[in-house]
Amino acid sequence: MLRIEGLSAGYSAKAVLNGVSINVDAGQFVAIVGPNGAGKTTLFKTISGILKPSGGGIFFNGVDLLAVPPAQRAHLGIAHVPEGRQVFPSLTVMENLEMGAMTESGRRDWAANIERIFEWLPVLAERRGQFAGTLSGGQQQMLAIGRGLASSPKLLMLDEPSMGLAPSTADFVFERLIEIRRQSGLTMLLVEQRVAEALESADHGYVLEAGRVVLEGNNETLRADDRVRKAYLGM
Amino acid sequence: MEGFLQALAAGLLIGAVYGLMCVGLGLIFGVMRVINFAHGDFMMLGMYVAFYLFTTAGIQAVFGNAVGPFIAILLAGPVLAVFGYFVHLALISHVSGTRTASLEGEGHYAQLILTLGIALILQNGGLIIFGSVLASIRTPLSSSAWELGPFFDMSIFINKARGIDAVVSLLIMTLLSLLITRSRIGKSLRAAADNPTAATYMGIDVDRAHRTAFALGSGITAIAGGLLATNYPFHPFVGLEYVIVMYAGVVLGGMGSIIGAFWGGMTIGLVQQMSTLILPTQLQNAAIFVVFLLIIFFRPQGFFGRMVERT
Repeated sequence: MLRIEGLSAGYSAKAVLNGVSINVDAGQFVAIVGPNGAGKTTLFKTISGILKPSGGGIFFNGVDLLAVPPAQRAHLGIAHVPEGRQVFPSLTVMENLEMGAMTESGRRDWAANIERIFEWLPVLAERRGQFAGTLSGGQQQMLAIGRGLASSPKLLMLDEPSMGLAPSTADFVFERLIEIRRQSGLTMLLVEQRVAEALESADHGYVLEAGRVVLEGNNETLRADDRVRKAYLGM
Repeated sequence: MEGFLQALAAGLLIGAVYGLMCVGLGLIFGVMRVINFAHGDFMMLGMYVAFYLFTTAGIQAVFGNAVGPFIAILLAGPVLAVFGYFVHLALISHVSGTRTASLEGEGHYAQLILTLGIALILQNGGLIIFGSVLASIRTPLSSSAWELGPFFDMSIFINKARGIDAVVSLLIMTLLSLLITRSRIGKSLRAAADNPTAATYMGIDVDRAHRTAFALGSGITAIAGGLLATNYPFHPFVGLEYVIVMYAGVVLGGMGSIIGAFWGGMTIGLVQQMSTLILPTQLQNAAIFVVFLLIIFFRPQGFFGRMVERT
């Protein structure tokens, strides 16, 4: 579904990504893990078009994404739940969800989507009239996820959903994501620093360090790998 | 007492039009955070467009002196909206919207200089094309009045043109706030203003949202200008007299709030008219800014400004 080939990108002179190749098949849950500054967020920004790559290619269902203007990429079925949540603070919870449904498919499936989103993330139903800027961090994260789901995406990209949350809240967000994935079978691409949880729930994983993929494999291979166990799992 | 009620009525009427004028800038400066110092001159153009539509383009001949001016004024809105659209496309878009990431001070310095330049071109271009003679949109309604009352033994006189101006302002204001709060377009404009990056992730074309807001704001202020022109004569430099009032109104109402900008403009209209009761008319504008400072001192976020941080 998503094929990234030899992607290089960065900010002005400083290269952050160096020939990264990643593949996400339909229905797969893929996790990209790695330390701070490895280029995980840069990778997501490049997929969404906020950053222009300096080399390589990105293909989504056979479409060359680099030829598609950034604002059009959501309409192809890519939902980006950004780092730090980035909800619209002066819009209500409901209006934030409506913004998620700006795509054609999101508009078509609005009624069914909103019902499922409220079922998965009941806190959003309780707070539907509240301004998003007044929500707690965990609630904002659920709103960001709900907003992504409201577009009826083919691919849901999640950038560090646990960032800045209390451990118990982060656990809860993870548990919700796994439940959503179990019920919907949605293709997901997750970037995460909480390596243990990410690798446990994903089908396939990539380890990104200093802008390069240093390791990849299915969840068992990665969790059995010595380097991963030492560096990330603390074993 | 009679003088007080009369000044209050005059203040409410002119305040409604000032409110509409401020709302136009509020969309551009308050919501989209783009500084446009040429906004007063856009309004000046709106006044001349309404004037020429009324006189030369034959609206006067078809609709007469009573209805004609208001039709011309309402038509000036779309004309200036198109003008604003292209000014944004050709010039402003280079220093706003998604470009601001690579500019210093969120592009505000560049916007300031660029729009001051546009203002100078419009003022002096106006002088060449329209001349320096005072113009006005004359209607017999400007010199007749409705008598309200008598209440007890007092009557209030409402200038007919100003009365209609205020009603038109309120109608447009209502339509606009419905558009901004309820419609899909309005919500996406607010999302694009809140967080341009996240709006792009949602599939909203941020530059196009900005252009829509800019066109809408230009058109709204042009209509307000046309309404003012039924009572106040104008000239190519008239924008300077109003642009500061517009900014004061937007800040007073609270940055980012459309309703707030309207009440900011209303407050300015009221203060301006009421101050004539106790102060010489030359001090009208001084009174506005004394009240402005007092309000900002006690409520720095303005009437409707929210202290929610913008991410």
